[in-house]
Amino acid sequence: MSSVLAERRSPAIDIRADGDSLAIAGVLDISTLPDAERALKLRKLVSVDLRNLDGLDSPGALFLCGLRARGVELTGVRGEHKALLDLICGLDLKPLPKVPRVPRWREVVIAIGKGGEEALRDARDIVTFIGRTANSTLAALVQPRGLHLASVSRQVAETGIDALPIVGLMAIMISVVIAYQSVTQLRSYGAENLTINLVAISMLREMGVLITAILVAGRSGSAFTAELGVMKAREEIDALKVMGLDPMRMLVVPRLVALVITLPLLTFFADAVGLLGGAMATQVLLKVAPMQFFEHARSAVDTHDLMVGLIKAPVFAVIIAVVGCMHGLRVRGSAESVGHETTRAVVKAIFLVIVLDALFSIVFEQVGW
Amino acid sequence: MVSRAQPILSARGIVNRFGRHAVHERLDLDVMPGEILGIVGGSGSGKSVLLKTLTGLHRPDRGEVRVEGKPVERISEASKAALFGVLFQQGALFSSLSVAQNVMLPMRYHTRLPLAHQERIAAMKIELAGLPADSGIKFPYQLSGGMVKRAAFARALALDPRILFLDEPTSDLDPVTASGIDALIRQLNQGLGITVVIVTHDLTTLFTICGRVAVLVDRKIVVDRIDRLQKSGHPWIHDFLHGPRGRGAKLGAQKEREQSHGIR
Repeated sequence: MSSVLAERRSPAIDIRADGDSLAIAGVLDISTLPDAERALKLRKLVSVDLRNLDGLDSPGALFLCGLRARGVELTGVRGEHKALLDLICGLDLKPLPKVPRVPRWREVVIAIGKGGEEALRDARDIVTFIGRTANSTLAALVQPRGLHLASVSRQVAETGIDALPIVGLMAIMISVVIAYQSVTQLRSYGAENLTINLVAISMLREMGVLITAILVAGRSGSAFTAELGVMKAREEIDALKVMGLDPMRMLVVPRLVALVITLPLLTFFADAVGLLGGAMATQVLLKVAPMQFFEHARSAVDTHDLMVGLIKAPVFAVIIAVVGCMHGLRVRGSAESVGHETTRAVVKAIFLVIVLDALFSIVFEQVGW
Repeated sequence: MVSRAQPILSARGIVNRFGRHAVHERLDLDVMPGEILGIVGGSGSGKSVLLKTLTGLHRPDRGEVRVEGKPVERISEASKAALFGVLFQQGALFSSLSVAQNVMLPMRYHTRLPLAHQERIAAMKIELAGLPADSGIKFPYQLSGGMVKRAAFARALALDPRILFLDEPTSDLDPVTASGIDALIRQLNQGLGITVVIVTHDLTTLFTICGRVAVLVDRKIVVDRIDRLQKSGHPWIHDFLHGPRGRGAKLGAQKEREQSHGIR
């Protein structure tokens, strides 16, 4: 047989008809099959001569077997093609089964039902998981050796220290945005000095903690899910259980404790850097010196504005850690479910953070903070 | 079975290094058309890297792989698809596609066959790989380990490749399923005339179906028939073939050969 590379470039088939018999020469393979099909369509055949057939592959053989099954005689089959033809003709061929079709309206109903059931299950799971985590955390805090300090410190480094640059950058950007947006509105009332109040209050009360929580949910919440998910998929969680070690205490508690430590610290850092960003923006916009900015800001805000932001941080930390770890331990079997659960964990954590933030706003308004 | 024809695939002077660690040092290998070649070697001896080098997935630091005289990196994508079929160790089936869609994927992009024909051919390949007809609409996660291997076989055969590369085709399988895979390899080799290169640790596969065996030792390769390799003085080859597993596999292979030839 000549080079396959040359053949593939110029596959040639030659079909000659003579009454109700046919001679195929050249190559009958997957690339020349459409030509053969076209030539043989609507033709009554008695025999096909294969004496000059140089190349044959399995789709070609399948085609010839189909002819043979319709009563066409294959003559002059070469020795080198006999094994292939015997193999393919000997197969018990059935068409692919049809995929059962579900009507569109039923698909919608099924999707709604599944979604509702899943939301209920999610809500129940998250409450259960918070309870289990609280139980393990308290037990770990009571028992002196129960808390894995090395693990906690590694998680503090990964979720806190490594996040400093991006949190700082985001805080500066957000305060610049707030300054620029408010100054144009306030200028029409001649009250552009209030820009400083607006930047300081919104950074301390809301934006600092919210931006930090969302970043940490995307950064560390997803990492929790992926880490625990891979451990689950590779049976490492089962290995822990077999050794009599509690995965909750070994894996979930250190992550939760670490995040409860780092998120308030990161929030404080974001507040400070955000004010610095506000000072820079107002210097450009209002020609206010940075020292003047801070003096003015001090009169505009007081300690409880800072506290309102910082109080929320540990709550958000618990939510992010719990949702991340819960979805990680929910991974079943294979690697693709890790990706699926990570997406859901991040979306759910950010959603819950914003819902809780809204609740906090209502509560603080009622309390009069 | 080994003809004196030109090799269909030849590797010359292959050097593969990872950092300071040399995996292959001026390694030569010829694969003859129509043969079943087994590649063996200890863990970390570079079997998988060699397979990737032969298929052009990995570019060696030095040396060249030629397919019918043409450098492997100069072969176009479409011709490569028709030349090489690769069975990956874990199957590497696309999880979002059904088995039949997995088999039809290369046909969809490399041929101009209508869909109904592609489905007929896919059904034929699935049957050829020894899967029941209804597995065509199943998804990879619904298949058992042996069925995943067979489905991956069907996909590797999609474009009737000239050379089939198998990476540990019988690992993770029970002995009955593994013997079924061995029989399938032999049937494809004889019926479709496909050249087969198998990377394996399975001694039974080596003794029963491989015409020649290439052993990766000391960063080079030793190729010979298995009965001659058994007389080799190299310590690793000796331990590999004469250990308790080797003896068992050899006995089994002899029995099978006697039965198939009708000799008592």
